[in-house]
Parts: sequence; C-alpha cells; structure tokens
Amino acid sequence: MAPNDIDLLTVQRGLVIAPAGCGKTQLIVEALKRHVEPKPILVLTHTNAGVAALRNRLEKAKIRPSAFRLSTIDGFAIRLVGMFPGRAEIDLVKLTVERPPYPEIRTAACNVLKTNRIYDAIRATYSRLLVDEYQDCSYWQHAIVYYLSHVLPTCVLGDQLQAIFGFGDDALADWQEHVGGHFPVAAELTTPHRWINAGAAELGQWVLAARGSLLSGQTIDLRQSPSTVEWVQLDGSNGDRPKQLKAGATKPHTPDGNVLIIGDSTQPRSQQLFASQIPGATVVEAVDLRELVNFASQLDLTAADAVHRVAHFAASLMTGTSPDDLIKRLATITSGRSRKDVTELEQLALDFQAAPTYGGVAALFAAINNQAGVRVHRPAVLRACFRALNECAKADGPEFREAAVRAREQYRMAGRSLPKRGVGSTLLLKGLEAEVCVVIQGDKLNAKNLYVALTRGSNKLIVCSKSPVLPVVT
Amino acid sequence: MAIIRKLEIRHFRGIASLDWCPSEGVNCLVGPGDSCKTTILDAIDLCLGARRNLTLSDADFHSLDVNTPISISVTIGRLGDSLKNLETYGMYLRGFDGKSGIILDEPDTGLETVLTHRLCVEADHEPSWALYSDRAAQQDQSRGLVWADRSAIAPTRLGAYADHNLSWGRASILNKVSDETIAASAALAELARSARDAFGQQAEAGLPKALKVVQSTAAKLGVPVGDAVKAMLDAQSVSFSGGTIALHDETGVPLKVLGLGSKRLLVAGLQRAAASSSPIVLVDEIEHGLEPHRIIRLLGELGAKEAKPPLQVFMTTHSPVAVRELDAAQLHLLRTSDTDHFAYPAVSAGDVQGTIRMFPEALLARSIIVCEGATEHGLLRGLDQHRVVNGKISFTAQNAAIIDGGGENVFKRARSFQFLGYRTAVLHDSDKIPTPDIKAEIEAAGAPTFAWRQGCALEEELFLALPEPTAMKLLEYAVERRGEKAIDDQIRSASGAKHTLASCRASLTVEARTVLGKASKAKTSGWYKTVTDMEAVARDIVGPGAKGSAASLTKPINDLLGWIADGAK
Repeated sequence: MAPNDIDLLTVQRGLVIAPAGCGKTQLIVEALKRHVEPKPILVLTHTNAGVAALRNRLEKAKIRPSAFRLSTIDGFAIRLVGMFPGRAEIDLVKLTVERPPYPEIRTAACNVLKTNRIYDAIRATYSRLLVDEYQDCSYWQHAIVYYLSHVLPTCVLGDQLQAIFGFGDDALADWQEHVGGHFPVAAELTTPHRWINAGAAELGQWVLAARGSLLSGQTIDLRQSPSTVEWVQLDGSNGDRPKQLKAGATKPHTPDGNVLIIGDSTQPRSQQLFASQIPGATVVEAVDLRELVNFASQLDLTAADAVHRVAHFAASLMTGTSPDDLIKRLATITSGRSRKDVTELEQLALDFQAAPTYGGVAALFAAINNQAGVRVHRPAVLRACFRALNECAKADGPEFREAAVRAREQYRMAGRSLPKRGVGSTLLLKGLEAEVCVVIQGDKLNAKNLYVALTRGSNKLIVCSKSPVLPVVT
Repeated sequence: MAIIRKLEIRHFRGIASLDWCPSEGVNCLVGPGDSCKTTILDAIDLCLGARRNLTLSDADFHSLDVNTPISISVTIGRLGDSLKNLETYGMYLRGFDGKSGIILDEPDTGLETVLTHRLCVEADHEPSWALYSDRAAQQDQSRGLVWADRSAIAPTRLGAYADHNLSWGRASILNKVSDETIAASAALAELARSARDAFGQQAEAGLPKALKVVQSTAAKLGVPVGDAVKAMLDAQSVSFSGGTIALHDETGVPLKVLGLGSKRLLVAGLQRAAASSSPIVLVDEIEHGLEPHRIIRLLGELGAKEAKPPLQVFMTTHSPVAVRELDAAQLHLLRTSDTDHFAYPAVSAGDVQGTIRMFPEALLARSIIVCEGATEHGLLRGLDQHRVVNGKISFTAQNAAIIDGGGENVFKRARSFQFLGYRTAVLHDSDKIPTPDIKAEIEAAGAPTFAWRQGCALEEELFLALPEPTAMKLLEYAVERRGEKAIDDQIRSASGAKHTLASCRASLTVEARTVLGKASKAKTSGWYKTVTDMEAVARDIVGPGAKGSAASLTKPINDLLGWIADGAK
C-alpha cells in the first residue's frame, strides 16, 4: 500500500474518490488480502462485466475466495428479494422473466432492508461492504447501499466524472445530495499509478490535471499537452476518414500492446464500419448482442430467404464477403446455366437449401469465414452465434432464439476481454485500458465521456477532432 | 447458542398433533402415564440429533396409520452467525413472535429470526431432514442444515445409560467439552500392527499341523499361497476408533463401572461445561438411579435455580422430589383432547406454586380428588384398599390422586388444580361451607362436589347411615383404641348425660346414632381423626359392611367412584 493511500478496512462509513487509473481496484485487492475475519466482505459493483473483471483481478492476486462475496448490486437485490418475497412485496414471477424490471426489484429490496427486518442476518453474513463504481449508482441502488450501511461498515468508491451511465427509469443518485450527504469523503486518490507503471508519468499528470478542469466545467486544450498526446485535426471534409483510419491503425509500443478505438456512442454502425476498415480491428460488443437475437428470432429454416438471411448476417460480422454474389450464383447453378465449377461454399449452400438444418447454418458461416480475403471483425457475435447453433442442433436442443438468448447471457456473464485492437464507445470501453487510445470523433464527446476516453490509454493518446479545445458539447 | 422456540409434532406415536412453545431454561414435562412425555423428548432428539439415518417402524406412526406422514418441526431461535447466514439459509429464515408463539414465514422488525428444521417420514420409513419455510416449499426448494451446524445444535440426551458419554466415541459429550482432537489414531494404528506381528509368531508355534494341511492342500489344487502359509491376527479385527479411548479413574478403573446415578450426574456436569456450544439437553426420568438429594443436585447442575439458565433442558419425571424442587414456570403440564396434545406451563394457572410444593405427586395424575380433611382422605384410601382386595381397579391405576384439602382451603385448592387443567372433584363435609363463592365457581367450571347429608360431618354420616352391625363395629373400634372409660365419658358429655356407652351398645336408636356421631367428631379427641385411623376403619369396617347403608352415604361415594372411572376411559 502506498503511504498516501487509505486503508479501506478502517472506513466505517465513507467515500473514496477514485479518479481513473489511480489504483482503486488495487486498493480493493489490498483490503481483501488483509481481511482475515471469518465473515466475508460483500463487494458490489454495477455490471456483470465489472464483476468479471474484478473477480479476475482477485484471482490473480490469490485472494482466498472465502474473504469476499462479489456481486452486482442488482444481482444482490434479486437474491434478497427472492429470499424474502413477502417482505419485498413483489411477485416472484417478475424475477424470472427475460428482462427483469430492475427498478421495481431495487425498490422491493429496499422494502426488505428497511426498518431492521433482517439486519441481524446481514450482520451474521458479512463483515463489511465495499461498493465499486459508485458514480453509476441509481437512486434506488444507492438506497440499497444506504440501508446496508446501517448494519455494515461501508466504503463506497467512485468518481463522479466517470458517471456516463444513467439511463432508464431509475435516475442516477445525486452525487452531492445523496452520495455526499450520506458518505463523507474518506480519501481522494491522487497518484496516477496506471501511467507511472507504464512509464508515462507525464501523461498521467496531464490526465489528472485535465480531470480537474473538466470537473470545474472548464475546457482542455489538446495543443498544450505532453508529446504522448497527439491531436489529429479534422476539417469535416472527405479527407477526414483516411486520417481517422490511419490514427486507428497506430501501432502499440510493445508487441503485446493493445489499442482501443473510441467511436460515436450513438452510432454503433459507424463503429462497426471503422472496425471493418481498420486492419486487425474488432468490435467491442454491447452486452445485449441484439443483432444475434434478432437474427435468431427471424431465421426460418424452411423459408425461401433462409440462405439470403444467413449470408447477409455473415456479411455483417465479416469483411470481404459478397452475399449478393452468392445468392446470384445459387440461382444460376439451380437453373443449370452455370459454366463454372461449383465451389465448396456453393455446394454447402445448395445442400442447405435441399435439407435446411441449424448444423447447416453453422457450416455455412464456417465456409464463408474460410474464403480467401475474409476477416471477422465482430468475433464476439460470431462465437455466440456458433455456440447457439451448436446448442439447437443437438437432439432435444432448444429453439434457436432461446439458444441465442442463452449465449447472450453467457457472454454477459463472461465479461469483455480486451481485443488487440478494439473499437467501441466510451460506455463499452469504460473499465478497459490499453497502451494506445484513439478517439475518432472528439467533438462528439461531452466532458464525462471525454474524460473516460482520455483515461483509456496508458502510453499514448490520439484525439481526432475539429476543435483542439474540448469539449465542444455539453 | 441455539435454543428451541417451538415444537410442532404431527402424527408421531401417541401424538396426533402438538404445538408447544417451551421456555428458555428447564422444561419439565409432567403428566399422567402414557401422556407421551417421552415421545416429546424422542421427537426433539430425532429431529435435531446429528444422525444420518433412522430406523422407524409402522408403530411410530400415530394409530399405525402409515398413510399420513410423521412430521416433526423444531423451530430454533437465538441463532448464531452461521445459522443466520443469508447466503446459506436466507430462503429459510423466519420470524418468531415470542408473545404469541406464532411463526411468520419471513423475518420482520420486532420478531426473532428463527429456522425451522423438519423431520418427515413417509410410509416407506425413509426419514428426510430439511429446513422448512412456506416460500421455499412453494418454490419446491429444499435444503438441509450444513452438517457442522447440525452437529452444533444437536441435543445431548441424558438417558438411562450414560456410558457412551464417557468415551470419545461419536456423539459423545466429551467431544464438545473442548476443541481438542485425539491425535492418537497413528499411535493406535501402530499398536494394531505390532499386536499383529507379535501374535503372528505365537500362532505359528501352536498350529503347525493345521498350517501343514492347508499348505499341502493348496499346493495340490494349485492355489497360489507361496511357500509357507501363516496364521496371523486378522488385520480387520484389530482396529481402534475414538470410542476406544475412555475415561478412567486414578487407579485405572474405567468410569463406566461407576454407579448409574454417579455417571448421570457426571455427564450432566460435562454438559454444563459444554453449554456454550451445545445448550440443549434431553433428560429421561431425571430421578433414574438417583437418591433424592442427588436429584436436587442434578437439577441444580442443569441450572434449574439460575436466573439466567445456561442450558435448555427438556426432562420427564415421575418423582415428586423433582416436581417439588422446580418452579411452576418450569413445569409444563401435558394434556390430551381427542385430537390434540397440549403442553403449557403451570404458571399460566396463576399462583399455584404452594399447591405444587405441597402435593407434587398429584401433578402426576389425571384426576384429582380434593378431600376436605384427613378423615375424608382416610376414608377414600381405606375404601380403595377394600375395593382392590375385591378385585376392583385402584384409584392410582385409574390415574386419580387423593389429596388433603386442608379444611377451609378445600375449594381454593381444588380451584388451583382445575386451573392447571386437571379433572378435579371435591369431597367435603356438609356441616359448614366456608367459601360458597368458590364452590359455585368450581362447579360452574365443571368440577363436581360431593357431600354428605345437610349439616353432617363424615363421622355423623357414618353413624347415621351404616347398618347397625357395622355401626356397632365402628364404635367398638373406637373403644378398642381409646378405652371404655374415655368413650363413655365422651358419649355422656355429648348427650348431656342422656346416653352412655352401655346404652348405645344396648340399642342403636337414631338418637344414639346422632350422639355417637357428635361425640366421635370432637375436634381434639375425635375417634377417627387421623388418616391412619379412618383408613383402617374404611378398609376393615365400612367397606365390607356398607351394604344396606342409607343413600346419603352411598350415593356420594358411588358417584365419586363413577367419576373416577370416567376419567380413566
């Protein structure tokens, strides 16, 4: 533990302000390592991805599993409500539907927790509570933690400048009123460990200073920055795209280094396009894998357009395919006018048309992928798609749609791994870090998204924007 | 640590249904024979004991009806942390309201967090132990206690035999007295090996012929046994377990050979020492093998006299000594209706401590006859003895107890027993009724009262009602005891010198009978005032010679006999 850092195990009720890259996770790891009491520490965070990432860190640090219980806040709430449905005043059916009504479940969890109903059981189960990424807490999630903090020593960690979530019916808890009002600041982390460890302390200091400016509503000027920050000037012309693609192709310093490319959050199509055009780049997918579920819902094996749908879905996951050519060739071959030899892929497609099976769909995807010049830029979707197809091709296997939903849930639970060169939005890349971070459209980011983007690269930061002074949107 | 808050038994042996909330310290179950006291102890033992299997038979099902499952639910409170763990037992935590004894399916403010452990046995005799909550049952969820938790709450039974608690075998209290483990297994295994080696050499010398036969037979048949068969100790027969290590006294005599009482006392003491981890004790017939002063000692060791009871004890007793030693709050009376069993603390009947102290043996009966004084008491005892000689069933066998009501207190005392749920009847004189209000009250509450003709004490009734030869024998009994002179004086005095002993002997007129009644009931020099006297009179004179008596004597007695017989049905 660094001398200035705080011992989380001594906080009775408090907030640790943790700017990105300042060793927040390490602080949690250290605390759990020193925790020797028999009862575990309850560690809560927001997303399944966050849970998976933290679990990974804890396993690497060889923290004994009995020292902690790790869960999302919503997962904890669902379990609690499931244990005491009467006190929660909720219909249990709501917990098992495909998309549980989380705001309602959170309120129900508060019904269980309030007025000392099960405080003794909570005290008997956990020794204290740590909540990570507290800036992402909704009002009702905060209420859950608020009630828990009456029984358990509670330390919450977060950084209000990273609060880029906050959608849906349950608004974010107010940082000043709700969070600050209940959790006095116990410490603020000020050492940019991420950059120091990467040998780029100067960049770290600059990012930390930028945070100060953004927090107080001021702008930052990319021209006044260390050499590790590069501004690529855009002008709105057709010439912008080559510049953005070139920036996206920047090589990392080390052979194993990663590159993160941050696109426009509101336009996933544009992110996918960049991924297909930048060599080696792949898409960091949103957890809902919506296109896969849609494809699975709509695919009718016996329909005339089945091959058409499969080929076009494959094209949305891989570059270098030509689905329309394939369809035309099939028509030619079927009508007996083909003069060229039938390729392996074409033969598979013909076989599929004759006897459509889910195994046949998987074989088609594999064959398309095997064609020369084809590259998968959305491997996460393709992998999940294969998994779902394999499941429903089994005897007594589920419907394709159900298999796809299961594959999605597995993906959600597994957490995102960092690709060598990944394209995504700040929402998706938050919590991931790479050697190099490339921001493709800096003008489109507001202060919070900008801050999240600036803090993703530990060695080098490239920002493409028209204005050198950011943010330009509020 | 955990204690029992509520016990719910369904369809187990003699009990069709029982719901009972025991108290924190000593719970002494009191009731007539066959009121299922031991069944309750067994139920707790079977449900909470740390056992993995159980041998039951059809006879364990109520009324032998195997189609209704046996269900024993024990709800435990004062849970330690591991039993309150949300992640392990969250689905099963419930709320207990100590005031009403009601269990709510989920914990709440103001309720104690509890767990219900249930033993279910279906017709196949397969026992299943599991935690129970309505919500888990609705969702078809089921889980048992973690084994460590189950052995931690397992009660210790202080049965008739305490021997197994004096060695370190499984389920011995010695394992709970400390955390130490016996590191002797390696040494024991080594011992077994050397015993085998040592024995092996001796055997060879003693069995040469047999070995030779085996050797040659094996060779002939081609059974591979090598060049020399050996006779050695069977490895499996030489094995030691924790139970092999037992307590011994200074001279090496095993404590198992101590007297029964001493062993039970010692084990109770050990239980006390292990109270922090294992606070529930079951004691069958606490008096078993113990002299009265050691019963008292044992009760003390179990914490019967302590304001903060260290143990939760469930015991049965047939000993008035034990009953007298306990507080009314510690005595739980067991009652049966057609379909239900009830158990409730004696204190719920109000201030009955004095009555319990004075007549502990009566608490063990079902019907209680409260007699106004020693004469009525003696009369009933004597008549009972007379009846038994003539082949009738004794009062005791009909679960009835006769107690002395202490004269003026007779109705008050009867009221106490009535409150305690006993079948109560009163036999009283009719010369004066000290507390008519209470008499009316207990009659209204269903207790019959029996009395002689208006204005008559028992002696007067006897002299008036008995046929002449019998009445004469009654007089002669008194003369024999007190001498002619004394009796004659009393007759003269009672009749204003109108009658004498001689005149009475000559003719038993109604007037003479009245005088004899008056003379015999004198307060200080009454003729039959002790229990012993009246008992003898009733047994030897009244009983055999009652035929032809007036109805004012026979009706109350016959009615009372009928009432007693009704109670035994």
